[in-house]
Amino acid sequence: MPAPETLGPRVVLHLLSRAGYGPRPGEIAGVLQSGPTRWIEDQLDPGPDPELDQRLSRFPTLSYTTSRILALYNADPRSIGVILDEFTSAKVVRAVHARNQLEEVLVDFWFNHFNVFVNDGFDRYSISSYERDAIRPNVLGRFRDLLQAASLHPAMLYSLDNYLNTVPRRVGNRVVGGINENQGRELLELHTVGVDAGYTQADVVEASRCLTGHGIDNLNTSGQYVYRTANHDNDSKQVFGLSVPGGGGEGDVQRLFDHLASHPATASHISKRLCQRFVADDPSPALVERLAGVFLRTDGDLREVTKALFGSAEFWAEAFGAGKPKTPLEYVASTLRGAGAEVNQARAVKAVLQDMGMPLYACNPPTGYSNRGADWLNPSSHLYRMNLALDLAAGAVSGVAADMAGLVRTGGGNPDDPRSAADAINRVVFGLTLSSATLGAAASLPTSGSVTVPARVGGLLFASPDMQVR
Amino acid sequence: MSGDASRRVFLRGAGLAAVGVGLAPTSLLVRTARAAAGEKVLVKVFLRGAADGLNLCAPHGDPEYYNLRQAIALPRPGSSDGVVNLDGYFGMHPELAPLKPFFDDGRLAFVHAVGNPQVTRSHFDAQDFMESGTPGDKQTPTGWLDRAIARIPGSEVTQAVSFSSQLVRSFLGPEPVLVAQNLSSFDLHARNWRVEAETRLRAMYEADPTAVGDTGSETFEAINTLLRAPTPPPSNGAAYPTGTVGSSLRQAAGLVKVGIGTRCIYVNVTGGFDTHSNQLQNNTTDYRPLGQALAAFATDLGGLLDSVVLMVTTEFGRTAAVNGAAGTDHGTGYCMMVLGGRVRGGRVLGRWPGLGRGQLYEGRDLAATTDFRDVFQEVARGQLGIAESLFPGYAPGPGVGVVA
Repeated sequence: MPAPETLGPRVVLHLLSRAGYGPRPGEIAGVLQSGPTRWIEDQLDPGPDPELDQRLSRFPTLSYTTSRILALYNADPRSIGVILDEFTSAKVVRAVHARNQLEEVLVDFWFNHFNVFVNDGFDRYSISSYERDAIRPNVLGRFRDLLQAASLHPAMLYSLDNYLNTVPRRVGNRVVGGINENQGRELLELHTVGVDAGYTQADVVEASRCLTGHGIDNLNTSGQYVYRTANHDNDSKQVFGLSVPGGGGEGDVQRLFDHLASHPATASHISKRLCQRFVADDPSPALVERLAGVFLRTDGDLREVTKALFGSAEFWAEAFGAGKPKTPLEYVASTLRGAGAEVNQARAVKAVLQDMGMPLYACNPPTGYSNRGADWLNPSSHLYRMNLALDLAAGAVSGVAADMAGLVRTGGGNPDDPRSAADAINRVVFGLTLSSATLGAAASLPTSGSVTVPARVGGLLFASPDMQVR
Repeated sequence: MSGDASRRVFLRGAGLAAVGVGLAPTSLLVRTARAAAGEKVLVKVFLRGAADGLNLCAPHGDPEYYNLRQAIALPRPGSSDGVVNLDGYFGMHPELAPLKPFFDDGRLAFVHAVGNPQVTRSHFDAQDFMESGTPGDKQTPTGWLDRAIARIPGSEVTQAVSFSSQLVRSFLGPEPVLVAQNLSSFDLHARNWRVEAETRLRAMYEADPTAVGDTGSETFEAINTLLRAPTPPPSNGAAYPTGTVGSSLRQAAGLVKVGIGTRCIYVNVTGGFDTHSNQLQNNTTDYRPLGQALAAFATDLGGLLDSVVLMVTTEFGRTAAVNGAAGTDHGTGYCMMVLGGRVRGGRVLGRWPGLGRGQLYEGRDLAATTDFRDVFQEVARGQLGIAESLFPGYAPGPGVGVVA
């Protein structure tokens, strides 16, 4: 395998499109100069990004705690609309403008792994804290820390009903409360060891017993995590090879997290999901097992696991394959980035993501959105993709500024000449990878027309099959 | 789920895709429309999240139901918010009341205690088993409806339509399927250079041999078919509720009425069916638009309902007893609804296993007495004329007698 540096713009495009949301104009040349290895190192150690901070400064509610959001909502119910608009808009702005692209992709990946649904009651008020406080700080940290932060965050405890999961208690002659299996099951099936690990219904119940008592203080006012001793089942438990002695109290769940986070099945399950997101819909089992080995050796150090992923031959070989179909978010963000667009107002972008079947933070099932690109290919969504490209190039996406003539000039092309314009966009956005059919169809456009050359050439190239894969 | 190789390959419709821009494939459309008039259509509505069969069609005649369900049991018929009595023993959820006339005139049936023999309480696995049609085998590369479409003549992209945000597992495989949420304004945004844009984009996608290229070509075929045969508005005063299920069933009825060769329609419904807590309120929220939309669909189609069989299904049932949070956890047997002019309705079909201690599966769930594949095959046999098994490794029985 030659060093990535020698492999040219195709390899840089591949890296920027997998580890990030694709190149902005000029970025391929810049990374070619400094070297892909250097870029990966920078991305694995995210530095300050004052330009992004400046853009995000127009969303003051991003830093609000759940309690503060609840107080604002209680004072004026309309406030939650503004708060969620800022929260979801920030996701678009980060994807399109963040310097730390890998961090944004990882936040998206891990949020989706520990998915909660924005329209689910209390999660409307706690989802901002969930991503900011539980997911984001841990994406390059230890899986064990991420697991605990996500599992015991009120947004998750609400989403999977664990705030209602209690030991059955006798009050007078009535039994109050009881086990709720929802989070116990998904903790095993989705978050850690995976559905094929071999656990049983009894393990689900025992895991749920460990989780009893971990709840939420007051759903309407504080919304903070709380552990209630009286709700905890303090007897001994047996969960999937782990013996939890009686009397462990809130420590039961710590033992369970320790056990699950270091389990080989978790290492494999997490590795497979990472490979699916970054390498291929059906990744090679050998790669998955190598990454699982790194996971186990490093005590679940996600920086090391992610680094190993980008160090694998399988990852780089994908630069020369057919490509992995982009999800709607990946397509939209990469198109806006490629066009050099500035997102002044994200509303139209969020609406088109909804039309494509991937509304932001609005995946209802706890499984999250599919990491398989092939799952996202369909005619309806595809029409929205092509129309976003055509609209963007024509300056018709509300709140988003993109200058196709400027893009052509950035690539050293002549905005009045279709062939020169297509070549320039091929260089700047596609790392000279466009197929001859795609390039030819755009380059042979007539010079005259009621729509400008850069708008037509840009619209076609961003709508092309080449843009649909990463 | 496996499969790159299984991704549909758009070959059978390639002749249509090659038709030039601006030239209506008129002869083909006319032929299609003629063939489709009164052609039978299978509609599958999937309630994702495990909709509770015991509150969809509640055994109000069994005291054990009230013992198990306690505060979330639906009151007996005649009480406030009580079930709508069906046969003296079962009653349907009060929010399904708009469907009562269709039950009474024999066009709506319930099939109770349906399930999958490989019991899993994982939503994901159970949905996979239901949609691949191969319980216990997650490697099956195709979905059961893809296999069904492969066995009927025709190759239009509108032959199979899925109202969903993604290609559903049931349609996974080589047959073309139009996945859509909204069929209105299904056209390219290229004012003043529409023909030029389509010509060039088509050329790009036709040159792409991968699944992306296939998707692009399907998109252009769908655009041209739908532009030339827009789906008509509701008839007979049918009033669809707002929201996904209403919108999808309104468009589904439009496809049946316009007759562009559609034989199979899938309606994906997500919502709060996974009622681990606060079940009564969640059921009300989700069953209301469901009942309204199904009734509107039947009203809208009028006599054309004779050519349609619509089945409502889910992935598994819920625990027989209430849990600690006024909800229910993942269970086994569930309840299907089947609606259509040729349905032998007005009955609750299937063998009822009972709710007694010794009758519950693993002491907690309504047992499953009918394999879902028997019902699916029965409907496919009646609607699509498919006699051979659609389920590898399984020979479906005669079914429950739900389709005449």
